[in-house]
Amino acid sequence: MIQENKDTSADSGKMYWKSLNDYAESPQFRTWVENEFPNGASLFEDTQRRSFMKLMAASFGLAGLGLSGCRRPEHEILPYGKSPEELIPGVPNYYATAMPTSAGYLPLIVESHEGRPTKIEGNPSYVPFGGSTDIYAQASVLNLYDPDRARGSFQKEQKTLAGNTSTRWKKIQSDSILSKLVDWSSSGKVAILADSSYSLARLELVGELKKKGVLWAEFDSVDSISFESELAAKLDSKKPVRAIPKLKNTSRVLSLDCDFMGNREPYSLANSRNFMSGRKVNKPKDALKMNRLYSVEADMTITGGVADHRLRLESSRMKSFLCLLGAEILKTKSKNDAALIEKFSDLGKGTSEHLNWAKICAKDLLSANGKSLILAGNHLDADTHLIVYFLNDLLGSIDKTVSYVTQPFSSNIGIQDLVSSINDGKVDTLVMLGGNPVHATSGFLDWEDISQKVENTVRIGFSIDESSQFCDYHIGCSHYLESWDLGLTWDCTSVIPIQPLIAPLFDTKSDIECLLSMSGDSRSSHDYIQSLFEKNGASIPFKDFLRLGVLKKDYTNKLKVEDLRSYLKENLKPSVLEAISKFEVLLVPDFHALDGSFINNGWMQECPHPITKLTWDNALLISPKMAKELESKFPDIGLLPKPTLLNQTGEIAPDNAVFDNGYQKSPVVELSVAGGKKIAAPLYVQPGLADKTVVASLGMGRKNTGRVGCEAGFDSYPLLSKQDTRVLPVLEIKPTGAYKILANTQEHWSMEGRAIIREANAEKYSKNQDFATQMGAESHSPPIWGKDQDTDLAFKSTTTPRGNSSYEHPDHTYEKSETHGIHQWGMAIDLNQCTGCSACVVACQSENNIPIVGKDQVLRGREMHWMRLDRYYSSAERNGDEIPSDVQVSFQGVSCMHCETAPCESVCPVNATVHDEEGLNAMAYNRCVGTRYCANNCPYKVRRFNFFDWNKRDINQLYQGPMGDKNDSLPAMGKNPDVTVRMRGVMEKCTYCVQRIQEAKIRVKVKAQRHANLATGNDGADLKLSTQDIKVPDGTIRPACQQVCPSDGVAFGDLSDPNSRVSQLKNDPRDYAVLGYLNTRPRTSYLAKVRNPNPAMPDFSDSPHSYREYHDKAYPSHH
Amino acid sequence: MKNIFPRWVNTVPIKLIISMGLLGGGIVAGITYYATPKYTRVGYQPTQPVPYDHSFHAGQLGLDCRYCHHGVEKSSHSNIPSANVCMSCHKNVKANSPLLEVVRQSYYGEDKDRDGQLSEDEDLNGDGVITAGPSVPWVRIHKAPDYVYFNHAIHVNRGISCVECHGRIDQMEVVHHAKHLSMSFCLECHRNPEKALRPNSEVTNLAWSIVSGSHSGSQSEADLEQIHAGLEIKENWGINPPLSCTGCHR
Repeated sequence: MIQENKDTSADSGKMYWKSLNDYAESPQFRTWVENEFPNGASLFEDTQRRSFMKLMAASFGLAGLGLSGCRRPEHEILPYGKSPEELIPGVPNYYATAMPTSAGYLPLIVESHEGRPTKIEGNPSYVPFGGSTDIYAQASVLNLYDPDRARGSFQKEQKTLAGNTSTRWKKIQSDSILSKLVDWSSSGKVAILADSSYSLARLELVGELKKKGVLWAEFDSVDSISFESELAAKLDSKKPVRAIPKLKNTSRVLSLDCDFMGNREPYSLANSRNFMSGRKVNKPKDALKMNRLYSVEADMTITGGVADHRLRLESSRMKSFLCLLGAEILKTKSKNDAALIEKFSDLGKGTSEHLNWAKICAKDLLSANGKSLILAGNHLDADTHLIVYFLNDLLGSIDKTVSYVTQPFSSNIGIQDLVSSINDGKVDTLVMLGGNPVHATSGFLDWEDISQKVENTVRIGFSIDESSQFCDYHIGCSHYLESWDLGLTWDCTSVIPIQPLIAPLFDTKSDIECLLSMSGDSRSSHDYIQSLFEKNGASIPFKDFLRLGVLKKDYTNKLKVEDLRSYLKENLKPSVLEAISKFEVLLVPDFHALDGSFINNGWMQECPHPITKLTWDNALLISPKMAKELESKFPDIGLLPKPTLLNQTGEIAPDNAVFDNGYQKSPVVELSVAGGKKIAAPLYVQPGLADKTVVASLGMGRKNTGRVGCEAGFDSYPLLSKQDTRVLPVLEIKPTGAYKILANTQEHWSMEGRAIIREANAEKYSKNQDFATQMGAESHSPPIWGKDQDTDLAFKSTTTPRGNSSYEHPDHTYEKSETHGIHQWGMAIDLNQCTGCSACVVACQSENNIPIVGKDQVLRGREMHWMRLDRYYSSAERNGDEIPSDVQVSFQGVSCMHCETAPCESVCPVNATVHDEEGLNAMAYNRCVGTRYCANNCPYKVRRFNFFDWNKRDINQLYQGPMGDKNDSLPAMGKNPDVTVRMRGVMEKCTYCVQRIQEAKIRVKVKAQRHANLATGNDGADLKLSTQDIKVPDGTIRPACQQVCPSDGVAFGDLSDPNSRVSQLKNDPRDYAVLGYLNTRPRTSYLAKVRNPNPAMPDFSDSPHSYREYHDKAYPSHH
Repeated sequence: MKNIFPRWVNTVPIKLIISMGLLGGGIVAGITYYATPKYTRVGYQPTQPVPYDHSFHAGQLGLDCRYCHHGVEKSSHSNIPSANVCMSCHKNVKANSPLLEVVRQSYYGEDKDRDGQLSEDEDLNGDGVITAGPSVPWVRIHKAPDYVYFNHAIHVNRGISCVECHGRIDQMEVVHHAKHLSMSFCLECHRNPEKALRPNSEVTNLAWSIVSGSHSGSQSEADLEQIHAGLEIKENWGINPPLSCTGCHR
């Protein structure tokens, strides 16, 4: 117990424990502690004790150098007492479960090694996601092993001494808190404030509890569903209305501030999968059949990056633009309704400068004959969604490309109603279940006051957070990998189980367990879930259901709508904000922390934001135009670098206002909105933003969180005044004089005319299929294949022809020896499929035990990701060094290319990196001595060096070396036992997931041997196996990046097999090698990107900007 | 001026060089001999918590290796049997032997009266099932380094016998480390698998040899016969042991 208290104090953020830390050494505090725990007084002499232990350990170590050091340390093997079923040590088990998210249950298959869940993958039985997962699901396994989570259940103890209040959490049994809760329930004045959920079990239990008089309120930190209820009210539906896009058959999409493939919208996996499948170009002819995306948005999102036409527009003007476009659609579809056309045109006046854009876009949408779709972001108001419904109806899209349905979860009372009940004295026990309502409502609720008005407060939460502060008790909430539950996917058409992979690591309870005991049900959560499943009319046995992980059952109802015209004519009003706003601030869920729940997740913090490439921080994003304005208003703000100057000695003098030690400073400004609410945050200039939009993200900057997230970013929740407005007018932005250094992994954002990413318009590709090979230096200086230039892929990959070189080539491939590999591995990445979602980065991290390094080390360029996602901007011709506003975004995933003539191999002095017989560029960690020559010689910069013992040492004490603290051991449980955990001083890089390759090869060989043995009865030399029998079938091996990709952008397989998918892709005319002219002959090649712009559009250009940049650079005379 | 150094000093450098050379040579020779797996590993024979006798069980009684190490054909690890495997015989045989008390404790766990039923007062953690006791702390003998990923399944399924790495376990009263299992040991066999390949049915027969027991020929003749048979198996099964780093290091 004492130990536990110590841990918690170390884990929590500063503010809450400030008093304790300040007070720790004072005599009064000591007295209190000594009274409380007579034996625990030494607790606070932690530092001394630790250094003593270090000294002792060192002296023992030295003593051991004598003879005892020669003895082999004794290891124990601890087998089970009773062997569990289905468990063979060394063979991972896979279980179907699901991750509960604010966007429905995400079906998963989780890998478990001897009972420890290590890797999360999507469940392919749920067809819309096809086995893919998003980045948060990938990272969520780390939350299970988060050392800063609530390690049990606690009671708050407060003591006031000399005017200072000290608080600490005393560990008690979760059951005792629950039984107290049951006692309090008898008064009938219990209120539960929970986050919304897709759990059927919770739905059922809430019904039970409501019957008992429990007040149930729901609140989501980032609200993405309340518009559905408002829309329902307008459409006369009792249940919330949901638009479920069916992008597979869609040929024209207009997205209004809707990041439907990113983290801001639900169902992004299905959207990415379906939408991007419509952009697959298997043959040059297919290019003209590609779908087309028009994106009107304020923020620069990954969806906007995919768009063929992108219009920058402030969020507050979206409704106006929609009306402008609607008027154009009405003019075709409903010519006679002059009054409505008038109304729409009138409302659309605010954006009349974009009339031409809207007109042609509308025409294109209409021409698609019901295969077009308009989508609107969930932060836009219900009226906007109503117009979208109306227009989709006009376009004939409903039931073709989108279905409007009612979902089964009816809306509950919100937080405001709950607070008024509390103020009326109707509540004496408040339970805060999940979410983090206190943090999210800090801008408009006074929790100090609220907590005074209720007698008992209980927090059921994953970690001790802001909401726990105002509670007397904290019940640790189990991770979803430790719980039983039953719920629905976002589209409410499939029932998904959550089954635990591991018993709770600590004394924690799942939400279902808490609700069960509150409703007086003594069943275990497993029994309850099973009986609920059976009660709901199960068509299959529960065990089969758990095995499948998905059961189709439609919980939605079709929506019936009366004619909307009269409503629209009478009630449509212009957006209030539009009129008053000079600048607006758009609040979006943060990429790293989501709504704040992932803030203490190191993988998420270190994964660069797909667009800004910032790690460990968020920033106020402003447009280049606004940056210029601020620069002219505050000349010393130091936002944009001045033209470089020479100092007196003739050296280049960096602009001191902008740079500090070579790092670009970000000026911290104070942003205020109405109601005196303000935040201080660093600015970051982001091309592609609407001119007057400031983007701030919600979820970072939490005060009471763990060691990882405690200093990450700034908090934007204080700006919120009511939960449902995420677009606010800005009153003022003024510099504070302070600045912050942001860790950006890719500061250089332009390809400068090099053909790294190759792009063409669909039109051009359909005519000139060889455009990709005609770009770049390779078009003049191709890899030196010599006479073997035109041989097929399989020949090239197996023999590595040397061309006309007179230099005798060492026999790397053992082609004449019998050890020549029967597979030749290779990868093809289709740039046309990549949305930039970055799930591959974290999937790779999870699969390959890649450590995090911390912000300080990221600033030094020492991040360890094996897979990085490069983001480039290109623009129409630029004016000097000005940052462009209208940009096209291109993404490229880069990991080790496994070059056949690898430059890294030839410089390694110890042969630590060499080729294997199947074409892998192997990295033997145990041989590496850390010269880093290989990294210097790698043209792709994909090799990562362990400058420190990231896995072993606390990332805040790296420079103390062995004297620093060791990492908490809990995250080590999540490591993949099939991959070496690398130590300090060795190089590492992508291995093509060699562990999966070897496992698959072994599996295939063992199976072939056993089958042949059983079939023939032979077991000696008389048993015959052909090469085909022991070859791994195509598609068996899927590296982590391929497995996770929602849009099927990565293919991996055997190049020596001409029918493998990767071989076919590599024979696509779009295939090219990055820096191919270096004759590195990379095994990973890329398929050029094809954009599909509309030639009639005002912003049309006949080739993508990156191509234009390349062309201007490569052929200056044509310019 | 008088010489500062006496005459004998003249020979000091040469003596030093020689002695340094001897010392250095000695250290090198010492390390080459003593600091290799051949010396440090072979013969390692820790005392086990239960004096399980392989020569009796696997040798005299003829238990197949896979009766206890049942995961060896499916997994990268060859599992150490859990206590219930031991107890499947020792419930009846030597049921009260004090030597097996550790195993019984592990097997019965919460079931203190060992009647197979869980009574109210036995269920200490309240989960309603008999929780097993502490594991039998077997001491590990064969250990590959953490960066080596040896896979048992592929070896035993493809005609490599246990005996190749573990020696004649069926003759060991107390198991010891028989082969040195260094990287050169692995590579030697990966380069010449024919010396070890045998029919699948004989993989766990540690006494097997290509020539029958009545064979009177010399050892070299037997070796030659093994190589011939091995080559045939290698050819027919498509045996192609990896020789590059990725085969074992990931």
